[in-house]
Amino acid sequence: MKVAEKDNVVHGMLEDEYRRSQEIVKALQAKLKYYPKGALNVRGKKVKNKKYFYHYLVRRDGKKIVNLHVAELDLPKLKKQIEEREKCRKEILSYKKRVLYLAKLLKKSKWEGGREK
Amino acid sequence: MKNKLPDNLFPNNIKNLLHAMSDVGFFERSVVVGSWVMLIYQELYGARYVLRTLDVDFAVHIAHQKRKLKADLKQLITSLGFTDYFDAEGTQKFTGGGYEVEFIGQRSGGRGKGVLAVPEWNVSAIPLPFISILTDFSDVAELCDFIIRFPIPEAFFLHKLIIAQRRLSDAKRDKDLEQCSVIIPIINDERMKNIIQKQRFSRETKSRIVASCDAIGFPLHRIELL
Repeated sequence: MKVAEKDNVVHGMLEDEYRRSQEIVKALQAKLKYYPKGALNVRGKKVKNKKYFYHYLVRRDGKKIVNLHVAELDLPKLKKQIEEREKCRKEILSYKKRVLYLAKLLKKSKWEGGREK
Repeated sequence: MKNKLPDNLFPNNIKNLLHAMSDVGFFERSVVVGSWVMLIYQELYGARYVLRTLDVDFAVHIAHQKRKLKADLKQLITSLGFTDYFDAEGTQKFTGGGYEVEFIGQRSGGRGKGVLAVPEWNVSAIPLPFISILTDFSDVAELCDFIIRFPIPEAFFLHKLIIAQRRLSDAKRDKDLEQCSVIIPIINDERMKNIIQKQRFSRETKSRIVASCDAIGFPLHRIELL
């Protein structure tokens, strides 16, 4: 069977990409901790023929479901933070997929570290 | 404009990024560096090198200390869908669509500084030596309806000759030297000598240049390294 000769440059680039992706996952996971947990929920309440809406941040705390009231004033900021958190999660997911693919290709364990700038 | 690049040269993510940065004047003095420059050389001068990494690096010209904010690049880049984060060394980077955006700046003095703050653009940069070769000797090209700045091939070549020998990884050194070999046919000796004349290299750096030239078979007399 003919075996292709290993290309040092291409192999090095793949190795670098593998380590780079791992580092990004770690950095983004660290960033994720600073975002609020949970999802936004709206509840409507009818008082004297008038309907009022209240926003809540719903999250799980062990076995309990916690509803935290969100003031109208804090809503835009919170919405932005949740949006950024989801963007961050999406990035992590795509890098994790890349790490898995490269780990297979390079015959490595999923998580190894360190790269040279 | 003599240097016109095709509209579809870069992936959309990167093109939009370059466009936004160009609009705020980033390329007035700073340059795009890294393997994406080879794509520009391929289009403008026919030097073909197909391997490209997924990080987009910019060499930022560091203005005089305490210069006021020109544009908030952090806000600009995140508004394009990139997510900012700090790496283990504390350098701010951006990631989006599988690409990583980072800034590098001229390191003055020793290895002490971990991160270089660039208040002019509200980003932080990785301090590295010899970056001024890239920012001081550059040219512009038109892409769509905006301009981008890139190092001239001679500056890119000289920079690679130096850093190749500083690499800890053999693969990275080989890649640097491979890129140098591809650029050789488009090197203009006069421009090269002009760059060399304006540098003050240590004996160590000169020996690195000589070692790289030996490795790629580039005649030393074309550099006139004193």
